[in-house]
Amino acid sequence: MQVLLVAFHILVFPGLLFEILMGILLLGTCNKLVARMQNRVGPPIIQPWYDFLKCCGKETIVPRAANRNIYLGIPYVGLGIILSTALFIPFAGMKLVFGQSDLIVILYLLTFVSVCMIIGAAASSSPWAGVGLSREMVAMISYELPFVFVILAVAREAGRGTEAGMTFSLADIVAYQQTNGSFFLHPALIPAWIAMLFVIPCEIGMHPFDVAEAETEICEGTLAEYSGKPLAAFKLTHCVKLFVMTSLFAAMFCGGINTGIPVLNVLIVILICFAVMFVSMALPHGACARFKTEQVFRFYWTFVSGIALVGLILVWCGF
Amino acid sequence: MFQNLIDKSMKKSPWLFHINAGSCNGCDIELVSVLTPRYDAERFGFHLTGTPRQADIVVVSGPITMQSRDRLIRTLAQVPEPKCVVSLGSCPRSGNVFKGSFAIDGPLEKYTHVDVSIGGCTPKPEAIVAGLAKAASILEEKRKAMRKGGIEAVRKMEAEAEKPDAETSGSTADAPAGEKAVKEAK
Repeated sequence: MQVLLVAFHILVFPGLLFEILMGILLLGTCNKLVARMQNRVGPPIIQPWYDFLKCCGKETIVPRAANRNIYLGIPYVGLGIILSTALFIPFAGMKLVFGQSDLIVILYLLTFVSVCMIIGAAASSSPWAGVGLSREMVAMISYELPFVFVILAVAREAGRGTEAGMTFSLADIVAYQQTNGSFFLHPALIPAWIAMLFVIPCEIGMHPFDVAEAETEICEGTLAEYSGKPLAAFKLTHCVKLFVMTSLFAAMFCGGINTGIPVLNVLIVILICFAVMFVSMALPHGACARFKTEQVFRFYWTFVSGIALVGLILVWCGF
Repeated sequence: MFQNLIDKSMKKSPWLFHINAGSCNGCDIELVSVLTPRYDAERFGFHLTGTPRQADIVVVSGPITMQSRDRLIRTLAQVPEPKCVVSLGSCPRSGNVFKGSFAIDGPLEKYTHVDVSIGGCTPKPEAIVAGLAKAASILEEKRKAMRKGGIEAVRKMEAEAEKPDAETSGSTADAPAGEKAVKEAK
C-alpha cells in the first residue's frame, strides 16, 4: 500500500502527470493572456499540448554533420532532469524527495537543463545554433547571480534559529514559514522576491529575455536544427520549467499558507503559480519587445542583482 | 489512440515558414498582417517559425528568381514530412507581371508540389487565412496517409491532387463563389 502511494505521488500527483498538465496550462494561459493584452483572441489554452503532439508526429531529421547520439538523446535527458527537479519542490506541503540542502540541488539541476540545451545545440553543428548557445550561456550567467543572492537571503532567514545560521533544505524553509508567517509578507525579504520575479522569465526563456531562441534573428537559435520528437521533448521541457519555477517561488515565499484543508491548500498554491506567471511572464511579454543580449546581461547584473543584494544585506543585518 | 490524437493536432498547430523568392514584399506584408490583432491567425494555432526544420506549412511568395531558385530548393528539402506548400500571390503561380523576364525561372510547380495556391496581387488577408486553413486540413490528410502507407502514400496523394479535375488542384481560396457555381453546374 505504501509503495502504491509513493508510486501515485511520483507518477500522478504531485509528480509527472500533474507537472506536465500544470506546465501546459501555465504556458497556454500565458499565451492567452498576452493575446488578450494585444487585443487578440489568442490560441486555445491547451495549444502547447497540440504543439507537443504535432511535433511527435513529424519526421525527425538529423543533420549529416551532427553527433547523432548526443543530438537525439540530450532532449530526453533534459526532460528527465526537469521532471525530477519538480519532485524536490514541496507542493502545498507535499514533498517526495527529502534532503539536507535540496535548494542547492535544485539550482544545479536547473542549470543542467540549460546545459542540456547547450549540448544539444552544439551537437547539431548549425551555425545558428552556435550563436544561440553562446547567447544561452550569457543568459545563464545573467540570471544565476541574482538567483544565488535570493537563495542565500531565503536560506539565511529560514536558518536563523539553527546552529549553522543557514538552511538550504526546502522542507525546513517551508516549516519555518508555517510557524513564523510567509516570507512574502516579511519586510526584509520583499527585495528578494521582487528579484526572484525577474529571475523566473529569464530562467525559463520567456519572451523579452528569450535571446537564445530569437526566432526572427537567428532562426530559433539553439533549436535551429531540431524537428520531430526531440523538438517535442524540448517544448515539453519548456512547459514543465514554467511549473517548476512558479512552484519554487510558491514554496520559497508563500510556504506559510495552511488552511488546514489539503485540497484548499493545493488550490491556493495553484492560484499562486498562475499569479506569478501573470506578473513575471505575461506582463513583460505583452509589454516589451525582445532585449538585446548585452541589454539582458546589463539589466540582470545591475538592476536585478542590485535588488537581490539589497535583500541579502537586509536579511544578513537582521531586519 | 495516441496516433489519432497526433493526427488531429496536426490541423490545430500548423507552423508556418515563409520563403521570399524574389517577391516585391507586398504579399509578405499581407502575410504578416494575418498575424496581427485584426485577423489573428494565431487563434487557429498558426505560428511563424524561424527555421524550416520546424515548419509544417511553407509559404512561398515571389516569382522564383534565378538568384533565389537554388536557395528555395534547398530550403524546401529541409522541411520534415508531412509538409504543405502554399504559393502566396500570383507570382509563384504564373510569374505575374514578371512573366517572360530573363531573371525568373518559375512557376513554383517546376520544383515542388503546390498544395494550396492563393491568388491575387496581393491576396486579401481573408483569402490568406482561408488558404492557410485549407492547407492545415490537407496537412492532417497527409499525416493520415503517411501513417498508413509511408512517404510514398503522400506522394501518391499529391499526384492525384495534381490531376486537372481534382478538387484541390488549382482552386483559389479567394474565389469561393466561382467554385460554388462550378459545383452547382455539375
